[in-house]
Amino acid sequence: MAGRTMIERLRDPSEKSLGVLLLAPAFLLLLLIVVYPIATLIFNSFFDMRLSGGSGGFKFVGVENYLLVLKDPDFWNATGNTVLITLVTVPGALVVGLGLALLANLPFKRQWPVRLALLLPWALPLAFAGLIFAWFFHTEYGVVNDVVRRVWPGSEPTMWLLRPNWAFAAICLTIVWKTSSFMALILLAGLQMIPKSLYEAAEVDGASRWQQFWQITIPMLMPSIIVALIFRTITALQTFDIPYTMTKGGPGNATETLAMLIHKTTIDYLDVGYGSTLAVFMFLLSLVVTGVYLKRIGRNA
Amino acid sequence: MAQVELRGVTKSYDGRNTVIHGIDLDIRHGEFVVFVGPSGCGKSTLLRMIAGLEPISGGEVRIGGQVVNDLPPRSRDIAMVFQDYALYPHKSLYDNMAFGLRLRKTPEDAIREQVMNAATCSCSTSRCRTLTPQLRNEMRTEIKRLHQRLGATIIYVTHDQVEAMTLADRIAVLSAGHKMQYDTPDAIYNRPAALFVAGFTGAPPMNLVDCTVTDGAADLGGVRVPLPADLAARAAGRSPLKFGVRPENLRLASAAGDIAVPAEVSLLEPLGAETLVTLKLGSTEMVARCPASFRHPPGTAVTLHVNPMHLHLFDAASGAALH
Repeated sequence: MAGRTMIERLRDPSEKSLGVLLLAPAFLLLLLIVVYPIATLIFNSFFDMRLSGGSGGFKFVGVENYLLVLKDPDFWNATGNTVLITLVTVPGALVVGLGLALLANLPFKRQWPVRLALLLPWALPLAFAGLIFAWFFHTEYGVVNDVVRRVWPGSEPTMWLLRPNWAFAAICLTIVWKTSSFMALILLAGLQMIPKSLYEAAEVDGASRWQQFWQITIPMLMPSIIVALIFRTITALQTFDIPYTMTKGGPGNATETLAMLIHKTTIDYLDVGYGSTLAVFMFLLSLVVTGVYLKRIGRNA
Repeated sequence: MAQVELRGVTKSYDGRNTVIHGIDLDIRHGEFVVFVGPSGCGKSTLLRMIAGLEPISGGEVRIGGQVVNDLPPRSRDIAMVFQDYALYPHKSLYDNMAFGLRLRKTPEDAIREQVMNAATCSCSTSRCRTLTPQLRNEMRTEIKRLHQRLGATIIYVTHDQVEAMTLADRIAVLSAGHKMQYDTPDAIYNRPAALFVAGFTGAPPMNLVDCTVTDGAADLGGVRVPLPADLAARAAGRSPLKFGVRPENLRLASAAGDIAVPAEVSLLEPLGAETLVTLKLGSTEMVARCPASFRHPPGTAVTLHVNPMHLHLFDAASGAALH
């Protein structure tokens, strides 16, 4: 053993070193794409790194950025908007997605048009959906106001994207439309795994359709619902594309999300240190939410 | 009174191909009837039609005298045990058992009493999740006890003819959507009405070989087996024919009235309690159930004895028995 060279040991590794060797590529990759960026982010958040202006600063400021963030009304506004979008669009997409999944699970003669209709919104890029719906909600040329005008002739056109609450509603509606198809796909897979005989047994026992839905479908679908909720919540916390393309965060910063604030601070204002600190807060928010869900899964399993 | 009547019941899924061909069946109140047949014979479909889980394409199903063709399952006052148990995996055992009662708005304390009562008498049944042969036997006993205790009309579907024989008051043998015979286990076994029934029941099943009948005897390719006069008379002028005899009716010892048939031992299969002996009779081969003490090596000439009452003849074309 003592006389073996490095090359000999690599050619004939022990079980332990073989394990280490096999794990190494995955570990290195993880290091490169997860640990390194996060470490850099946290590192930068302790510095004053404003790349604009002549100062060219790269100054260690300790937790100053963190204290500034906590006192920053823009941060609290963006966090509030992000949480609100999450609270509205996640349950919204769940309900709409469940409806779509139940619809797609009906015994249609031809399945593919239904599946295609489900897949299309999902396959559409987020920014694309944002642009399309921005046109739908356009005050003068939008289809939404056109319908409103036809139903209530002579009514004042709503300035959807120029009024804080309406803009918020329009964004949430767009996000629900865009994301419910993904929910529906996961739930459809879950629905198809429920054995048909459970419904037949319930039928013989005398359960109505409504009772079958609550007593069989929902409990049997719970694992799928939780998975769908986790995925959807995490992406909802990172909402960026749709408000960015529809309102740019406006009017004012009424629809600005955390991801948009980080983007603005870092890319537009070139304040890398402060932007990193904001990103750390967003990371923590995602971490807390994921932790809560994971704990729930652990309990269910 | 929960008698079940089927009148010309047919089933077609696509309107062109019929899978159940006009089945007539009368099941008396409190009777235990088993539908038996190979997979794909339509036995489960027929059961599902009686339960209301499958629409009836033609004919009538009556339960307790009432036509139930258009009644949903819940209005037929039936209970059904599914092949895959159909237990609700998210509910506890108690809640599974209480589900039907809750739907019928039974008060919660009455549910409790009924479930606990049922649980104590079927505690061994609940273990039969994976049905090994041993558990199947246990389950069978349990089902039979349950039927004796409840006195309910029971329809049971199986592909296992042993299960059918042991459980049933009457057996309906199905093949390719046709009712082949509907009778007591004894009649099914000893007086099979069709070639299919004869070949499906018994383990090993009835020996069935081609034969011709001339001068009151069946010719098995060189060996002539004298037939009872009435059987020979019915066979006169018919061909092709199948000759049938059950393995346990081919014996080495003779009894009064038996006929003797020369044969040659060809293969031995000792089973412990008995030995299955394959024998050459003329140009045909048959299996006989012999005592475990049977030791004659292959090639030995033996004389078989058979009671002529145990001989069967079938019309090979239609499959109908000639008795």
